[in-house]
Amino acid sequence: MVVKIGGSIISPLRNSVDSVYEALARGESSLRTRKLWNLEEPFVGSMMNWEEEGPDDCLTRFESLSLRSARAALQEAGIDGKRGDVAFVFSTTKGNIEQLAHRFDTTRTQVRHKFERRLNLGEGARRVVRELGNGNDPVVVSNACTSGLCAQIVAQRMLEQKICRYAVVVGCDVLTEFIVSGFQSFKALSPEGCRPFDAERKGLNLGEAAAAMVLTLSDEASGRWVLERGAIRNDANHISGPSRTGEGSYRALRTVLASVGMEELAFVNAHGTATMYNDEMESIALERAGITDVPVNSLKGYLGHTMGAAGVLECLVSMKAVEEGVVLATRGFGKKGVSGNIKINGELTTTDRPSFVKMLSGFGGCNAVMLYRKGGGV
Amino acid sequence: MEELIQTLKQQIIEVLNLEGMKPEDIDNDAPLFNEGLGLDSIDALELIVLMEKKYGIKLQDPKAAKDVFQSVRVMAEYIEQHRSK
Amino acid sequence: MRHWVILDETRGVVVDGERIGVEAQGMGMIDEIYRGYVGNYMKYFKMDSLCKVGFVASELLLAKESGSRDVEQRKCYGTAERAIVLFNESGSLYTDTRYQATISDEENYFPSPALFVYTLANIVTGEIAIRNKYYGETNFLVLPEKNSQAMAVQVSALFADKETQSAIVGWVECDAEEHFEVRMALVGRDDNIENDIKTLIEWKN
Repeated sequence: MVVKIGGSIISPLRNSVDSVYEALARGESSLRTRKLWNLEEPFVGSMMNWEEEGPDDCLTRFESLSLRSARAALQEAGIDGKRGDVAFVFSTTKGNIEQLAHRFDTTRTQVRHKFERRLNLGEGARRVVRELGNGNDPVVVSNACTSGLCAQIVAQRMLEQKICRYAVVVGCDVLTEFIVSGFQSFKALSPEGCRPFDAERKGLNLGEAAAAMVLTLSDEASGRWVLERGAIRNDANHISGPSRTGEGSYRALRTVLASVGMEELAFVNAHGTATMYNDEMESIALERAGITDVPVNSLKGYLGHTMGAAGVLECLVSMKAVEEGVVLATRGFGKKGVSGNIKINGELTTTDRPSFVKMLSGFGGCNAVMLYRKGGGV
Repeated sequence: MEELIQTLKQQIIEVLNLEGMKPEDIDNDAPLFNEGLGLDSIDALELIVLMEKKYGIKLQDPKAAKDVFQSVRVMAEYIEQHRSK
Repeated sequence: MRHWVILDETRGVVVDGERIGVEAQGMGMIDEIYRGYVGNYMKYFKMDSLCKVGFVASELLLAKESGSRDVEQRKCYGTAERAIVLFNESGSLYTDTRYQATISDEENYFPSPALFVYTLANIVTGEIAIRNKYYGETNFLVLPEKNSQAMAVQVSALFADKETQSAIVGWVECDAEEHFEVRMALVGRDDNIENDIKTLIEWKN
């Protein structure tokens, strides 16, 4: 089976899995109103303090965040990143997209921008891998907002097929004018802190972060987190609107839940972006899959929707929560505003169950679900 | 008004890539969404951009925009009353 | 490998090793195939170039499999048995650049939602799934360069999902308006994947 042997989070709130978890348990949030770039409207988002990070002439923001989280996860795992049997699977939606603005900068048309090549996601990821001293070529999963789980599924399969001995899954996206303006044009952003599953929810908040996970194949599960089973399914309905019946999400849930009894599930950590359609869709998919009594939470009210990082970051925080016997609160939730018969976890509660399910959905109609189990119980 | 309706039809065909469609194929009063032209949510968002870009009209709430996008005639009437370009 | 399609602006169109005659060049070639072999699917005209080339290739592939243009008559329609996993090097960079143009001029700042939705390479997998009502796995993987071995590893691994019986896989690249290359195949669980992907990627006429 595939187990987690290291994890890390670099975020605007804190810079380790444990400290991010503690901040979330205290109800802290890094969501702030910002007016940046040429955007016509302000937006509420979670951003790193880039002045504190200091300038870097060699690495982009995406690359430096990814590098820091990969390094920290490898260190926790006690694995030398230079090893030839370490594979790298990245999860990102837009990577170095902020470098694209240079193409339109009329003052420097004669100079080919030095980061130009790294606009290709594979090239940006390769730069991070080389910086770690590893000669392997990375795979970049770019499956919209489900990338973080899809990357774990890709890594899990590579380990099971013995393509590599260790797999480092790195999820990262940074906030850019490109991404924020796009979500604004979609009228998808909330003018306030987001309210997942709430009757008054007004949309999502974007966030930037990086999170990494080191995985390996092992017979010894005791005390370790096992990636039990994952599934990716499509709605086959619309490229941007979630299915009204939650088709893809339901099918992914059904496949994954075949491996677990409801009484083992501590909670379901939903995508819970707080858009009208996403949360409604998830509630329907969950009810159809029979998850009506297990608590459901969303972490978007703390660090926003961190896109490529979300699947890795939210899993790591959820693992820590299970270890602490806690079901984290859905920050921003007050009154249920979805039609599915599900139990939203509004306040922090306790649990003694060893497993949880993580859900994600994204543009392109894709949905991903993964089941995790703490070996030897909690 | 008739002139505006014609211009508007041409603009809709252009921004929504309604391939093979001519202005005369769009009925002034036929619903744009669902059964009418079969437009979807992304088309609605793109029409919001069209309203701002060509006529200086900001439609913040996509739900309110739906009322404006009932038909080409309703759109044209709304533009007449609110345009700043 | 059950069937395969190559589409590119220099080699033209090849289905299962046989060349299909087309007159137009560049994206005109893709529109010509759409009109000649697909037709009657308005969504096609809304797609960005990456989706158009991927979609048209999938139509040729699936028409070949079922001998029918009627989607509902085709194999696997409405099931989760078939996965779609595509690869390229530039992601959606060509459409990204077109979207960036809508926000680069302060005086003319109108971000386009219809372009923004295509600034994700995986939308092409969604377009194919929507057309064929495939509820199976869809994924998009970006590699630093075209590499049949790296692709074969990922395609073989797909079948770890027990529901997946067959898959539409391949290289779908479109990094400029007139610069595209599609090498797409329909593979099954029991096929010799490594060999098939190597043949597909290295095929030269």
